[in-house]
Amino acid sequence: MALRKGDGLKIFLGLWIAAVIYTMFLVVPQYVGLGDAGRIIIVHVPVAWITSAAFCLSAIYSIIYLWKRNPASDVAAVAAAEVGTLYCIFATITGSIFAEVVWGTFWNWDPRETSILVLLLIYAAYFALRSSVDDSERRRRLAAVYNIFAAVTMPFLLFVAPRVADSTLHPNCAFLQGSKCDGISLSLTGAKIGQLGDVVIEFKSLVKTGTLTHATIEVRMPGMKNIATLVPSLDGDGKPADRPEFPGQQFRMVLLEADATAGTIRVNMQAPGTNLLSNPRTLWVFLASNLGFLALAFWLYKIRRTILQVQLTLTPGEINI
Amino acid sequence: MIDPLIWRATRAIFLRELRSELRNRQALNAVALFAICSVVTVSLGLGPLMPSADVALVHAAFLWIVLLFAAFTALARVFVVEEEQRTAAALRLAAPPIAVYLGKLCFNLVLLLGLTILVTILAIVMLHIRVGASDLLIGMLLSGSLALVAGTTLVAAIIARSSSRGALFAVLSLPILIPMLVTAVRGTAMALAGVNWERGMAPIQTLLAYAVAMFVTSLFLFATVWE
Repeated sequence: MALRKGDGLKIFLGLWIAAVIYTMFLVVPQYVGLGDAGRIIIVHVPVAWITSAAFCLSAIYSIIYLWKRNPASDVAAVAAAEVGTLYCIFATITGSIFAEVVWGTFWNWDPRETSILVLLLIYAAYFALRSSVDDSERRRRLAAVYNIFAAVTMPFLLFVAPRVADSTLHPNCAFLQGSKCDGISLSLTGAKIGQLGDVVIEFKSLVKTGTLTHATIEVRMPGMKNIATLVPSLDGDGKPADRPEFPGQQFRMVLLEADATAGTIRVNMQAPGTNLLSNPRTLWVFLASNLGFLALAFWLYKIRRTILQVQLTLTPGEINI
Repeated sequence: MIDPLIWRATRAIFLRELRSELRNRQALNAVALFAICSVVTVSLGLGPLMPSADVALVHAAFLWIVLLFAAFTALARVFVVEEEQRTAAALRLAAPPIAVYLGKLCFNLVLLLGLTILVTILAIVMLHIRVGASDLLIGMLLSGSLALVAGTTLVAAIIARSSSRGALFAVLSLPILIPMLVTAVRGTAMALAGVNWERGMAPIQTLLAYAVAMFVTSLFLFATVWE
């Protein structure tokens, strides 16, 4: 029997993603500083942004449902939320694997990690709400209201999280409103204590020896019994000299500015792996991965939406989604 | 211009809630006892903390955890009681949805403010909390309470119409409250550490912005939940 157009597209999509995975592991060159772990970014980043897009789509369909009261819009909102949740779990797992290998910790309460976790909690709550309302019309209505209400809190999370941790190990902090990846400023006479990710740091002293300026900083991390002391330094040209590693981690502390007379410093944490996409082969595979995972998300969404729509048509009022 | 009828209905619902609560004191007793037990348990278990860099943050986190869970015990009741006592239908006929929402919101706010005063005084006395900037602490607790009430009142209305009410309230509220709680804990820690108003204003502004956003969204959505 001849293949239908839809079957052909499905096979093409399967081959496309298989090619992306193959190229990701075997063709793309290793990135200096990240090693083989850097390859996971090619999957992680597309999956993460498609998660956000799917949840936005779900919230939009919830608004449309409340406006038109057409059950088909609610079905679309559920399908988008399900795809978003699936991708969200995948993004969290791939991100955690990368973080453990490259940064030395599965979880460090980075602003992006926090926001993806809250998204996961919100949509888990959304499904919990749906399963606890018996009347189908009321279920649709309440779920749509919750979906919109939760969506309103997201800007606060994006706005607040970068302020909670003024520093992030994720590149491109410009995506996060309010964060410029500038690190934190500390002063011997004012705010001595700050936070980089989930690491609490305390500025103890600043000494100038020759051309180098050394800052002594105490570091406390979750699960660490003793306080560690790091001494990053700045050379005479204002460039970071010594960049000590955080204890048990693979990211470093970097002294960005120091004023010995005023007793002020600006420090940040630095992870390997910026400019990952400057290699053209990596860039093309990354773009192909974006396309492949977007098409996969769309396909999953369409299938789920069709199934739910059929269920709704066959047994109106009894479907429990 | 808002219809004066709505104000009258709002006032009537608020006074009804207040009167009803003062008569049976169900929420008041449960919440006050919960708050006292939490503070006493933590004081006994933890004792006064030694001065360190983290002590203000630990105290602030403890204060907001107690407030949050006490709020979970109390704030959902305003709508759940209507469904349990089967008075919701009569209330739907008697008052416009917006007045119902505003009346219940005001009652929840009064309840939470009373609770906040109780918990804060108990915590300061029993845990020997040193307050660096008391005026900033009051500002932080007020704005935090406003944000907490604005974020949970609509969820209380949602869960009142579902089958598993108690557990669902915490499940639905927590993800929504995370941005507000993080800000409130940080801001309260700053107030306990004694920072000036200039630095302390940022968390207060964020909390007030959150409260306004949640309040306005709730005003738009409440009629849909209540219908």
